[in-house]
Amino acid sequence: MDELTHLPQITIELLGLNLVFNTETITMTWIVMGIMIVFGFLATRNISLVPNPFQVVGELIVGAFWGLTKDALDEEMARKYFPLICTLFLFLLIGNWLGTFPHLGEPTKDLNTPLGLGILGFVIAHYSGIRAKGFKAYAKEYFEPIFLMAPLNVIGEIAKVVSISFRLYGNIMGGAIIVLVVSHLVYSLILPPFLLAFFNLFIGTIQAFVFTMLTLVYISVQVK
Amino acid sequence: MDISGADFVQGLAFLGAGIAMGLGAIGPGVGEGFVGGKACEAIGRKPNEAGLLTRTMLVGQAVSESTGIYSLVVALLLLFVV
Repeated sequence: MDELTHLPQITIELLGLNLVFNTETITMTWIVMGIMIVFGFLATRNISLVPNPFQVVGELIVGAFWGLTKDALDEEMARKYFPLICTLFLFLLIGNWLGTFPHLGEPTKDLNTPLGLGILGFVIAHYSGIRAKGFKAYAKEYFEPIFLMAPLNVIGEIAKVVSISFRLYGNIMGGAIIVLVVSHLVYSLILPPFLLAFFNLFIGTIQAFVFTMLTLVYISVQVK
Repeated sequence: MDISGADFVQGLAFLGAGIAMGLGAIGPGVGEGFVGGKACEAIGRKPNEAGLLTRTMLVGQAVSESTGIYSLVVALLLLFVV
């Protein structure tokens, strides 16, 4: 049960600051990026009318997300934000599935990863809102319906980041803890594969989808 | 049995974690069931729109789940940090 609270870390002192690196999270993130690069290379290596298996999977995912993005934003905007949305989904999907394999862990199990991605989505949404509407119209939205509501609106925007990142973190971490505890109880017999299939493959897919969709919705709310 | 200060605090933290998780799971349970039921009704009325409805249902359920996730995070903090 020591694995629950164990988090491998390296601390480096630089200019009087303590920089803490969570080595497992960083390694897993690099593994996910490597898988994505290899997958992208295999899918686009020789594109043909009769596709190879990787191209089929790639076309499926890209086609589905292109439709979703086009529904939420208009055509021109969708062309701009589609790469971000699709990459975010693929990263989270592979990241959430990574814990199914032995000796590997989800990078999303550490709060830093979801929080970083949440802040990324927040900054992009607000930046694109300012660019689409101009700063005056953007700032005016905070004072609606009346002037006094401004603090509440600001808190509401910040709560979005907290809720989106804690949702992903809580789901993945909770699933990992339940799998670990139940495996410990039944001496790793019979049950763990089914639990992993449910928590990592099913919940992981849904949470990756939800995170992506919410980022898309936040962008579309700001842009319109 | 003698219970001194640190053990007492630890015990109360475990108790608090149990209460937080138990009570916090009520709201999301009711909310997600409600969303799922409504989505079933809507699919029964319009079977052609099943894909869109399922997608919307999943996003809605995930949003209503977040209070449960907050209580899970609080419970984890109580278990491992306090």
